[in-house]
Amino acid sequence: MCIKVFNSVKALWEGMWTVFKHLFKRAVTLEYPEKRRKLNDAFRGKPLVEGCIGCGICKRVCPAGAIEYEKNEDGKVVFYKFDLKKCIFCGNCAFYCPKGAIKMTDEYELAVQDKDGLNLVYKGGAEND
Amino acid sequence: MTTTRLKLNLGPQHPSTHGVLRLLLELEGEKILSCEPDIGYLHRGMEKMAEKLSYIQYLPLVDRIDYLAGFFYSELLCRIVESACGIEIPDKVKVIRVLMLELNRIASHLLWVGAFLMDLGATSPYFYVFREREMILRYFEKITGQRMMYNYFIFGGVRKDIEFLEDVEEIISVLPSKIDDYEKIITDNPIFIRRTENKGILSPDTAVNFAITGVNLRASGVDYDCRHTDELYRGFDFKSIILDGKDAWSRYKARILEMRESINIIKQALDYLKKSNPLEQRLIPPINLKLPEGDYYAEIEAPRGLASCYVRSDGEDKPYRLKWRTGSYYSVNLLRRILKGEYLNDAIAIAGSLDIILPEVDK
Repeated sequence: MCIKVFNSVKALWEGMWTVFKHLFKRAVTLEYPEKRRKLNDAFRGKPLVEGCIGCGICKRVCPAGAIEYEKNEDGKVVFYKFDLKKCIFCGNCAFYCPKGAIKMTDEYELAVQDKDGLNLVYKGGAEND
Repeated sequence: MTTTRLKLNLGPQHPSTHGVLRLLLELEGEKILSCEPDIGYLHRGMEKMAEKLSYIQYLPLVDRIDYLAGFFYSELLCRIVESACGIEIPDKVKVIRVLMLELNRIASHLLWVGAFLMDLGATSPYFYVFREREMILRYFEKITGQRMMYNYFIFGGVRKDIEFLEDVEEIISVLPSKIDDYEKIITDNPIFIRRTENKGILSPDTAVNFAITGVNLRASGVDYDCRHTDELYRGFDFKSIILDGKDAWSRYKARILEMRESINIIKQALDYLKKSNPLEQRLIPPINLKLPEGDYYAEIEAPRGLASCYVRSDGEDKPYRLKWRTGSYYSVNLLRRILKGEYLNDAIAIAGSLDIILPEVDK
């Protein structure tokens, strides 16, 4: 009985001491809106289109149906739209794009007041505008 | 004196039901007479969705079946497509996949330790495990681009070569001492022992009859670890963790030991990757990918038990039927049996010890 009590007290003390030691450690969290952590290049955030040739592969690999585009009679892309309401940021389009025209940027704060702001429209497809 | 039986709804929105699980308990006093789990609050139609999408469109979605261990499910789908196309993946890809899977297993078990202790009322370990899990998730973000929805394994290989191996080295050098810290706080704590020892006894027979797999089964003394027969893990030296306790405490201890074993596997993978050449792989073109007519099956040892995927293809670019087997689904069913005769205040501890993840149950 005595040994059991001793062991219990010892175990509790060890646990408490381990927790107590954390008081003197540096904080590991960041105060978010003021401080932001640095994101790496691979981060998959808001997509960006530049130099689309309109092959349609992105549309075929997109699981959410978030991509729409239109070509004129010369075969030039005149309208390219990302619907961020549907986009799940999987990065399939960027990975399979044969021209590397789609890039996933590190922008992740995408809340807007007006939901039309979530339609990313790139007129012409070639330049980002 | 007359006694009445009380029907009590535990959940669906309860801090310790890990998602949305509703348990309909029938109580006499504080004793549980019967338990009826009610699932489906998180149903997203994962299997039906597969019938509408091509294989490459479906691949990013399978990470969401179990958001704590997404790699395991993408690995299953990749394995099915690779076996159907008759493609052998190179050794380096195999080792990269093992590294990611085992890191993911550690991350999943870490979160379980925190959540389980939170269920029992201890808050400090919850923050400590998140600190360590964050290291792993940051590494995943560097490699795959996102913290939980990785979409990193693709048919025939991985999206890009592995980098930042020094981060993994740091993780495996820091983790063992941190796990020691958890053990100091938790394992011998008399309050923790009183709440978990001999609670939720799962006998080997019951476990096998209820198709329980994974750590829960091994903590009941049954030696069944799918990794030993897995082609992916061939060449890795590790042992399965078998404990005889059968109770909630053993299930906790088994997960702690399993994390340490995973660190061993990661060390071996790291040794290989450091000496390896740049990645050379032959990816399967995803456009117009059609699996030949037939049935395909793949299984893997996920953190919550055996996970498997069954695909029937009729030669089209979409599966005719796709079925997932997830470990938690069977653990929820087990609650009917092991909560019977226990007390209400132990119900949370027992349900927590089974490591139930609801998105995996409802799919």
